[in-house]
Amino acid sequence: MNKCLLCDQTIAAVADLNMIFSFRSIVMPVICSNCTQSFVSLTNQKTCLDCGRLLKQVDVCSDCHYWRQHGHQFSNKALYEYNPAMKEYMSRYKFIGDYRLRQVFRNELSQVIRASRKVIIPIPVSVDTIKHRGFNQVTGWFKKVNYYDVLMPIKKKKIIAQSEKNRQQRLQTPQPFQIIASAQSVILNQDVLIVDDVYTTGTTIRHAANLIQAAGARSVSGLTLCR
Amino acid sequence: MIKTLSDLYGRQVSQHQIKSNLLNNNALCKRQAIQKNRHRWRCQRCNSLVYQTLPNGQYYCHSCIQLGRLTTTDQLVSLPEPNMFHDLTKKCEWQGKLTSQQEQAAQEVLLSIQSKNSRLLWAVTGAGKTEMLFPGLTWALTNQLRVGIVSPRIDVILELAPRLQSAFPQQSFIALYGDTAASYQYTQLVLATVHQLYRFYHAFDVLIVDEVDVFPLAGNEQLHFALSQAAKDKCAQIFLTATPSPALIQKVQRQQLAVSYLPRRFHGYPLPTITFIKTAKWRQKLQQYQLPKRLVKEIKRLMQIKRPFLLFVPHVKDLSDVKQALEKLHFVDKYATVHATDKNRAIKVQQMRNHELNFLVTTTILERGVTFAGIDVLVLGADDEVFSTAALVQMAGRVGRKKSRPTGQVLFFGAHLVTNIRRANAQIKMMNRRAHPVE
Repeated sequence: MNKCLLCDQTIAAVADLNMIFSFRSIVMPVICSNCTQSFVSLTNQKTCLDCGRLLKQVDVCSDCHYWRQHGHQFSNKALYEYNPAMKEYMSRYKFIGDYRLRQVFRNELSQVIRASRKVIIPIPVSVDTIKHRGFNQVTGWFKKVNYYDVLMPIKKKKIIAQSEKNRQQRLQTPQPFQIIASAQSVILNQDVLIVDDVYTTGTTIRHAANLIQAAGARSVSGLTLCR
Repeated sequence: MIKTLSDLYGRQVSQHQIKSNLLNNNALCKRQAIQKNRHRWRCQRCNSLVYQTLPNGQYYCHSCIQLGRLTTTDQLVSLPEPNMFHDLTKKCEWQGKLTSQQEQAAQEVLLSIQSKNSRLLWAVTGAGKTEMLFPGLTWALTNQLRVGIVSPRIDVILELAPRLQSAFPQQSFIALYGDTAASYQYTQLVLATVHQLYRFYHAFDVLIVDEVDVFPLAGNEQLHFALSQAAKDKCAQIFLTATPSPALIQKVQRQQLAVSYLPRRFHGYPLPTITFIKTAKWRQKLQQYQLPKRLVKEIKRLMQIKRPFLLFVPHVKDLSDVKQALEKLHFVDKYATVHATDKNRAIKVQQMRNHELNFLVTTTILERGVTFAGIDVLVLGADDEVFSTAALVQMAGRVGRKKSRPTGQVLFFGAHLVTNIRRANAQIKMMNRRAHPVE
């Protein structure tokens, strides 16, 4: 019997004859049905064209409308809503550092990424974070995904984590990345997909997109786990 | 973040949580947090096998990660417990008087503490266990020993704290549970939930464990490891329970653990025994929002004579079914349903105490630690596998706890007379025989 990674409840085994005779590899769930239901999926929902948040009437939300007026158009897709359950998950995975929790969304996210058939560029984390946390939370979700480390964080004396700033401070963040010169060739005239964990104000992923666009990519779009 | 050295006495924390200027002290004892033993990595905080790796090749322990992640590069830092306590002239100001049976058990506990031996105090529900500890506690506190009182249940800690405060008003102590660890300070007496013991290392000369047989401590090897690591090498461990686990009973039978029995309640009356009533297919009936006829009859009778009672059900999801079934019967009496994550739990329990409610429909959370005057107990689905022998004994033990009504009835409704119910009744009768031997 395997147990739910999030709540430690026993998961009832669900292998029926259809699954066996489909002759595909059987993927067992890693979290229980209760925990699955606590996440709100945005797939096949009406969402903002630019940032991927859940919308009812209009096509573009007011935040993205503001971005567009200032000449930043960008298309991002998100898989889940950033609700309390997702916040709890992120804090356990990222901040406490429970690396095995990557399995919760690994299959789903990797499938979407592989289906896009684009050049995959994950948002990097700073050297200090890697030393402390031991992993990059984005690449942790990758399974059989070819990706390129094109972006590199610019070293600063005192870095405040994005998650510790308020909205105004985040919007005013200067360009945090630079392009690794030797890797520039992989994005030239290519369709690029930038992958990040959370789209909050969009500052980080838009900064990255601007850099990559300027370096000669044909198109740039974004994919985040949550919005 | 730990800023003073005294906060490290008998504790263990990872080096990240200590201010860097303290780390150079020579007195500090540092251990690698995850060590290799016979080709296997083990966490030194919770003793579980470590097999989770990070991309950089380090191992980390996922069992105790809620206390902060420990990896192979981390160290656990501690300072040996110096027992530096001043002002040892405190007296116990509890005014009550122990019965002769309680007095004898209290003396045995005192002897155990003096000789630093372990002991099981097997006292029936409602025997007055806390009061029996006072002579031993007084001796330990005046003899510079560090004392820990721990329990798996937060309710027990919250209930004990004011009682200890009034018994030892000059004694400063700290109660640790949940996320209160931030306000830790070095005290002679520590009240804590067992999970807090992961943060202690060779700290206590006396360790009193209340309700040893309860989830999550029962059968949890990591917590038992934490318990043994929080105790000093020579430590008096006192286990308190009304329903010891088979493992503890076996230790007693093999004479590895001394035991004191307290089979008689403080008012001297025997424990109410269980009456089993066979109600076939109660589960199927409940799914159609029907209660067994015998149960309905009993509820009506209890309402007529205005007697408060508790109705236990096995699962949280059964509560709404029972509620629907009761609504169908159009009862005028007031009642409420209570479960573990109920926000209004404390309010509802208080309303029951004030007689604003006639009865409570509840899961096992009210099985211990709560006292209502003069109630009866009904259990629907007593044959369900979630009810262990200990849980059944505890539920029956809610009855007759006050001198004003020392008896009462315990009715178990179930489809089968399962082993757990028979064992529970046998245990109650055994304690009654010990308390009232036939002359």
